[in-house]
Amino acid sequence: MLGFEAIIAHNGFAMAALGISIVFSGLAVLSFAISRLYKALVLWDNRHETVKRIRNTLTSSRVRGPRIIVERSDEDQEETVRLYHMLADTLEKPFALPAFLELAVNRGLCHPYSTVNDLIKQGYIQPDGKGFYCWKC
Amino acid sequence: MPVDVNVLKTISIFEDICEANLHKLSSIICPLRVCEEEMLTRRGIPATNLYIVTSGNFMAFFKGGQSVTLHNKGDVIGWSSIITPFRYKGSSVALTDGEVLCIPSRKLLRLVRENSELATKLIQKINTVIQNRLPFVNGQPVVENETVRHAA
Repeated sequence: MLGFEAIIAHNGFAMAALGISIVFSGLAVLSFAISRLYKALVLWDNRHETVKRIRNTLTSSRVRGPRIIVERSDEDQEETVRLYHMLADTLEKPFALPAFLELAVNRGLCHPYSTVNDLIKQGYIQPDGKGFYCWKC
Repeated sequence: MPVDVNVLKTISIFEDICEANLHKLSSIICPLRVCEEEMLTRRGIPATNLYIVTSGNFMAFFKGGQSVTLHNKGDVIGWSSIITPFRYKGSSVALTDGEVLCIPSRKLLRLVRENSELATKLIQKINTVIQNRLPFVNGQPVVENETVRHAA
């Protein structure tokens, strides 16, 4: 057997195709790696910052523990009412509730939204029926 | 995760609706947990969801600084999602941690278009809410003789 018949009989074409595909795959992988080499070098140069950033991301995404609800004493409640009453006095009467909340937030008061809700439920802050509120209208 | 039909039965806005329609509604409604200070809606942005309060306390506020506080189960937030031009008329924020039922407006409108009975009942209920809040929406002062009630 000579020529193409011999090649076909001994799987020559298949071997050639396989060899070509291996070589070209290798070349493609190599060229990709070289094209991304600059990024790997940048990452290596900034490895300390990268590790720090990943650590920060992991710590911030941790599940928060259960909320600790601290029961306020009567004195604390009185103090809260007094503080918010003082804030309400700085605003025009009647006042807009969003403005009152913003004032409480800017003053750095703790949990202003839930506190204002409690004051509304306890009747310290009352609606005037026109969309505005006042302190014990 | 869709809401349970039994939860819907306890809400006033759904009380006259038949079982079959409740099942259809429950497939499009999802419960949503909200935290204190979390915004549900913002004035001017496209209204994509309607919210119904199941627990917690909320405040809806409008252009002129007027606001209403919502403390009851069944209170509605975001009715603009089913009324043209489908942009929220007010902003709403959670005063405390709570839970709401979130209804995507597209799905609700599709359901309502296919079911006139459901449409009639829902719109009647939501109309009450709209009437209560409309005086505040444009930031106009409320006339002395009108009685403005909090949204129920």
